[in-house]
Amino acid sequence: MKNLQFDSTNAICGLTFIALGGFFIYQCLSLELGTALRMGPGYFPLALATILTFLGVVVLGQSTRVQGEPIGPIAVRGMLFILPAPVFFGLTVRGLGFVPSLFFAALIAAFASSRMKPGMAVVLAAAITLFSVVVFSYALGLPFVRFGPWTRL
Amino acid sequence: MDLISNLALGFSTAASPANLAFCLIGVLLGTLIGVLPGIGATATIAMLLPITFQLEPVSSLIMLAGIYYGAQYGGSTTAILINMPGESSSAVTAIDGYQMARKGRAGAALSIAALGSFFAGTVSTFLVAIFALPLTAIALKFGAAEYFSLMVVGLVSSIALAHGSIVKALAMVALGLLLGLVGTDIYTGTPRFTLGIREYADGLNFVAVAVGVFGIAEILRNLEGEKNRTVLMAKVSGLWPTKEDFKRMAAPVLRGTAIGSALGILPGGGAILAAFASYTVEKRVSDHPEEFGHGAIAGVAGPESANNAGAQTSFIPLLTLGIPANPVMALMVGAMIIQGIVPGPNVATEQPTLFWGIIASMWIGNLMLVVLNLPLIGLWVKLLTVPYYVLFPIIMAFCSIGVYSVNSNVYDLYAVALFGLGGYLLVKLRCEPAPLLLGFVLGPLLEENLRRAMILSRGDPTTFVTRPISAILLAIALAVLVVVFLPSVKKKREEVFQEED
Amino acid sequence: MKILKALFGASAVLAAGLLATSALGQTYPERTITMVVPFSAGGPTDTVTRLVAEAMSKDLGQQIVVENVGGAGGTLGAGRVASADADGYTLLLHHIGMATSATLYRKLAYDTLGAFEYVGLVTDVPMTIVARKDLEPTDLKGLIEYMKGNKDTVTVANAGIGAASHLCGMMLMSALQTQFTTVPYKGTGPAMTDLLGGQVDVMCDQTTNTTKQIQGGTIKAYAVTSPARLGNLPDVPTAEEGGLPGFQVGIWHGIYAPKGTPAEVTERLSKSLQLALKDPNVVARFAELGTAPSSDADATPAGLKAKLESEIARWKPVIEAAGQYAD
Repeated sequence: MKNLQFDSTNAICGLTFIALGGFFIYQCLSLELGTALRMGPGYFPLALATILTFLGVVVLGQSTRVQGEPIGPIAVRGMLFILPAPVFFGLTVRGLGFVPSLFFAALIAAFASSRMKPGMAVVLAAAITLFSVVVFSYALGLPFVRFGPWTRL
Repeated sequence: MDLISNLALGFSTAASPANLAFCLIGVLLGTLIGVLPGIGATATIAMLLPITFQLEPVSSLIMLAGIYYGAQYGGSTTAILINMPGESSSAVTAIDGYQMARKGRAGAALSIAALGSFFAGTVSTFLVAIFALPLTAIALKFGAAEYFSLMVVGLVSSIALAHGSIVKALAMVALGLLLGLVGTDIYTGTPRFTLGIREYADGLNFVAVAVGVFGIAEILRNLEGEKNRTVLMAKVSGLWPTKEDFKRMAAPVLRGTAIGSALGILPGGGAILAAFASYTVEKRVSDHPEEFGHGAIAGVAGPESANNAGAQTSFIPLLTLGIPANPVMALMVGAMIIQGIVPGPNVATEQPTLFWGIIASMWIGNLMLVVLNLPLIGLWVKLLTVPYYVLFPIIMAFCSIGVYSVNSNVYDLYAVALFGLGGYLLVKLRCEPAPLLLGFVLGPLLEENLRRAMILSRGDPTTFVTRPISAILLAIALAVLVVVFLPSVKKKREEVFQEED
Repeated sequence: MKILKALFGASAVLAAGLLATSALGQTYPERTITMVVPFSAGGPTDTVTRLVAEAMSKDLGQQIVVENVGGAGGTLGAGRVASADADGYTLLLHHIGMATSATLYRKLAYDTLGAFEYVGLVTDVPMTIVARKDLEPTDLKGLIEYMKGNKDTVTVANAGIGAASHLCGMMLMSALQTQFTTVPYKGTGPAMTDLLGGQVDVMCDQTTNTTKQIQGGTIKAYAVTSPARLGNLPDVPTAEEGGLPGFQVGIWHGIYAPKGTPAEVTERLSKSLQLALKDPNVVARFAELGTAPSSDADATPAGLKAKLESEIARWKPVIEAAGQYAD
């Protein structure tokens, strides 16, 4: 095995393309294809998904020939805190309202960095919230409820 | 001549103290909101639209137009500084602009963008004034077949966006095209790839995808192994472009202006191609194509000029036909109607003050922007000294607001997270996001026009070569393809020969 | 004792309820009202909403903010309001799509007739049958003959499934008993561009989009779909005059509230709507769009309810005959 030159990044990349292509092909199966002259909703995407899968195979094939850089470190902590921030905002903006929802979303995102201290994070989140409420809610009059029904107990 | 008196009328309207003030407020507000990460021109206009309702019609449209260019300038600033494009056009600027910023040349990149845009804005404003009517006639010659061929040219160009593997770039384009097709098929009403989620019936939100694959992926990349690395940005060297920079930006700005002006007049989404097309051209004609993707000046100057020129000339279909060329123009139509002006082919003759006033204000607005923005560059660059761990909670907050404000759709926020994850994965796999984004923008246009052309030609595929404009465009696409592949073939052969030596 | 207590309790609850509702009716509105438009900012429905909301704000003494909840042919915004608190602070302004989506969508997240209270009809925007300017026929009769004679080559544009032009196109096919090649576009803008450029032949769209083009002579108008001719298009005959008896299609707009909103509140809003529809600014803007505000009789909960019910019944067979659904 050691003799085989193998680029793990490109191998994963190729497999990803194949998987994505496969997903779209699978989804296209339930769509009407039509003909080249009278295309159905599935025709064009099926062609694209096939191309994507084929390119994935090519990338996978290339990966066995050349050695590439390793994939490097993964920002696990970053993913754990950055990605949930907009999701949290989405889940709570109408229930909690704009102000608390934004505050907590910013707070969650702030903890993505190991350098952020808790006190600092709260101050930062509060500052962001204050600025946004003044600019978006009061000055621009965006139709966001500032405090939603969940806060009215 | 008529033109002189018309322009005089326009300038006397636009230069009234009140209108100057509204123009200033517009560009200022547009810049300030547009510079917030993840909030592009469309979101800015959607947010600021109601503010303009209380004004006089001419003033309100002048202010709205000001907001529009202001937001574009602001959007480019964020794209350059933190790799957060808010529009498809600034996505191209982000490629080399952000690299320049990382090399400590953020000031130069920002001033090049501002000056290039101003030049392009000036030229294209006069084009609008002189040629608005004849150009409209050309734009109307574009049917589905022509648009399809134009999009093919755009797709072929996408190869030039790739800096690494061409195969991967093509795969990214294909993936982008597929993502662009998510949503309801307009021909049959069939939902496609929505996984049964009705909130995605109108497709994925562009800002969500762009912010995800560009911005969030970049944040995550900066967060990995942050214990070992401290400085991400090189020291800022020189706020202004050097003499050498000016020399190198002149030709790209001229070419960008020409490309942007030409594509901007097409009401079916030509302007979105402008920045991409300009980037392709610059990379092809450059003596140093290897610099592209690593902070090439031409890669900022060309697309920025093209995008601003396109933005100006995209007013042509609105003013001469009453047809909005893009979502921002659609918002302008709404604003005009509320003001009691229903846009149509007669605006120029029925409302000369309004028509010429807006055109004159375009130039004044651009002048104001360049005057405002050049001194602000120092301030923007200082923003880069804000520690990154302070910056990204701010970025995430504004992204969330910006994405949500467009349609109040929480699923757009989930898409941000999803595409952030996907974008990061792709970066780790050494794939580039720009071709994906181009595909995403082109996907629906390509399919829509292909199928429409086939319907209109009653299933005759020769329609693409028998219609002259379409045939010319396809020939251009073919030529681009040949030019792109020939040198690389040649280079490979040279390498082989060298090895043999 | 127990009975007495129960009676007392019940009456107290009843009294409190009465007090609460009448109090709500008298003091309403106490805070900002949100009016949801189920379409993007800048479109014709958004425009109508903003004009009416501003005028209604003046009478109600509270601001009405317009929130654009676009997507899925207006069904997302309608669904949002259907599940909102029934306190009168979340309203919906929707157009004819409220009635047609009941058939166009086989799986709706809400029950169109069961999930809303009614405030009133706002306006009924007429449609126009238009064609590229070099199409030969000179009147509607000629157009009908031409379309029937060339049914394999005539193309009819529309702005996408569920759009006004799509509905009117279906109605036209149903009236002519003929199938034409339909060419869908994403929105009115590109459809109109192709009509101006002569790439497609015929379209039927709201006056909002067509009036200026007709006046400018860039497209040919064959008929308006209103009962009488329009003030700003006096030369265009009605469909009735032109030979399509009973062909009346309008893009009507109505204001709704979530089910359970107290009648006092909807009555109050209806009064305010009637006033707003007499506001000179609203009247003038509506006139420019080729439409007129609804009468006091129509701008009532009963008026809107009747319209919605009759329109659902009217469009159901037309949509089912076309066999095209949006999900």
